[in-house]
Amino acid sequence: MSEVVVTGFGVRTAFGRGADALRRGVFGGVPAFAPTTRFDTGPYRTPFAATTGTDKPDLMRDVLGECTDEAVEMAGFTARDDTAVLVGTSGDFAVLTRFWRGEAGVEAADTVPAWQADLLAARIGASSGRRLAFTNACVASAAAIIHACGLIASGRVSSAVCAGAYLVEEEVFAKFDSGRAMSRDGFVRPFSADRGGMLLGDGVATVVLESAEAVRRRGGRPLAAVVGWGAGSDAYHVSRPHPDGAGLAAAAGRALRRADDPDGLRIDYVNAHGTATKFNDPAETRGLRRVFGTRADQVPVSSTKSTTGHMLEAAGVVEFVITLLALTDGVLPPTANFTEADPDCDLDYVPNVARDADVRRALNLNAAFGGVNTALVLERR
Amino acid sequence: MITANRADPVPGFVESSFNPLIHDVARRCLTERPGDGTRTALLVGSTVGDSGTTDLASRLLIGGQVSNPLLFMQATANAILGYVSKEFGITGPLIAMSALTGLGSALLDTAHVLLDDEELDRVLLVGVELAGSDRTAAFCRELGLPQPTEDFAVALLVDRDTSFEDSGGYDLRRLAEGPTP
Repeated sequence: MSEVVVTGFGVRTAFGRGADALRRGVFGGVPAFAPTTRFDTGPYRTPFAATTGTDKPDLMRDVLGECTDEAVEMAGFTARDDTAVLVGTSGDFAVLTRFWRGEAGVEAADTVPAWQADLLAARIGASSGRRLAFTNACVASAAAIIHACGLIASGRVSSAVCAGAYLVEEEVFAKFDSGRAMSRDGFVRPFSADRGGMLLGDGVATVVLESAEAVRRRGGRPLAAVVGWGAGSDAYHVSRPHPDGAGLAAAAGRALRRADDPDGLRIDYVNAHGTATKFNDPAETRGLRRVFGTRADQVPVSSTKSTTGHMLEAAGVVEFVITLLALTDGVLPPTANFTEADPDCDLDYVPNVARDADVRRALNLNAAFGGVNTALVLERR
Repeated sequence: MITANRADPVPGFVESSFNPLIHDVARRCLTERPGDGTRTALLVGSTVGDSGTTDLASRLLIGGQVSNPLLFMQATANAILGYVSKEFGITGPLIAMSALTGLGSALLDTAHVLLDDEELDRVLLVGVELAGSDRTAAFCRELGLPQPTEDFAVALLVDRDTSFEDSGGYDLRRLAEGPTP
């Protein structure tokens, strides 16, 4: 099996572009939420989202391209014949709205998930390799990374460019509003007793994954290794998570067994899914107790959605980058807006303030509708 | 292959044939060949996805109508994957993906990668496309792709003994059109 390493990343959130923007916002514990001006929020229960402040979102394809350019440059990477391009996206929904409004100059192809992957592949000269979009909503880009790890570890490819994108727009905002899933007061309080739901946030990120051998051959420098990955499902409900976090624990278990650490004894930090919804947070807490057993109280867990908002298809890859920064900087990002403990959420959630820590290994979790769960284990290099 | 008018309805999934099609072909495979759900993965592929639900929701939004909470739940294929996983006790990975061309080959290739995992024995892969809307017609024109003429789904249950080469790398559209080469 080939070792899978990360050699570069590019990222944009509501805090702006690049790692320093994440350090200021996510690690600073400063939420990015404000009333969005991208569309009329009058019909909805909340006006809040974490956006970059522009009245109209950029084209998804452009932001994906910019983040990928940054990732490739950081890695010193040139696409190879076998480079896979795997993107977590459901397509550009802002373009969907414009299409049905009958606006001129709209390219309907931008609404097709796979087209985003093809465009990205063409941009970096990787059109001869696998090009796929993963459309599993909130685990989409994590699923892309997991697939890339399988391809690289098995020797099928030596590199993959994985991305994810969601930019706040009205289509999805309206759906989450109708599902009464969003916080009405502009705060996202994961794991707190008074949590009132999630808020959406802009997120786009790209990571370059390669086999360690290929990186050695070209004289590159790994930032971290991906030593474990896994997915699992709840088999419980079309939208609610299993109350005991069964699928999440199954996904984490697969990832940890692959990382040769079945009990998670070497995990120093967990970047949780942590949506601040009524059902997710206690389920995730119970799932983590299943994973870590009696050690669960000693493992710091945080939800960075408290600052970035929920970036849907991009959540997996942006939080992968945040976890990578936790490893390289030796700092745990906090769960912002933490107020009072919920008896059903009783772990160490790194409340409100970042914490210095020697983080060698970290577990990155995501979950989605349908009881779909993913887990990735990163190791410092 | 199942077409929309032959797919049994699924409670709650009423706005589009996408989800009933997936459920119908999945049920047929998993009923005929029951197995260990803990060692089974579900993989759904569609170039466009559920254009029925997506475009309906968008037109409602443009028309100023209140969004239907059912469309929230059904906005992704995850919901029907979760439904199938509950019905058949499947706790392995659930994946939804999109490829612009060669979707059938991409599904088989991805299933092969999944089966590298010693904790999995079987992958149910489903290809599904809808005839679509003005939007799907528009992007098919833009990209020079053929537009499906009807809603259909195809499923294939592969296990550890089925290699990609054994399956012939079939494109699901070719599978759907009749006898395979």
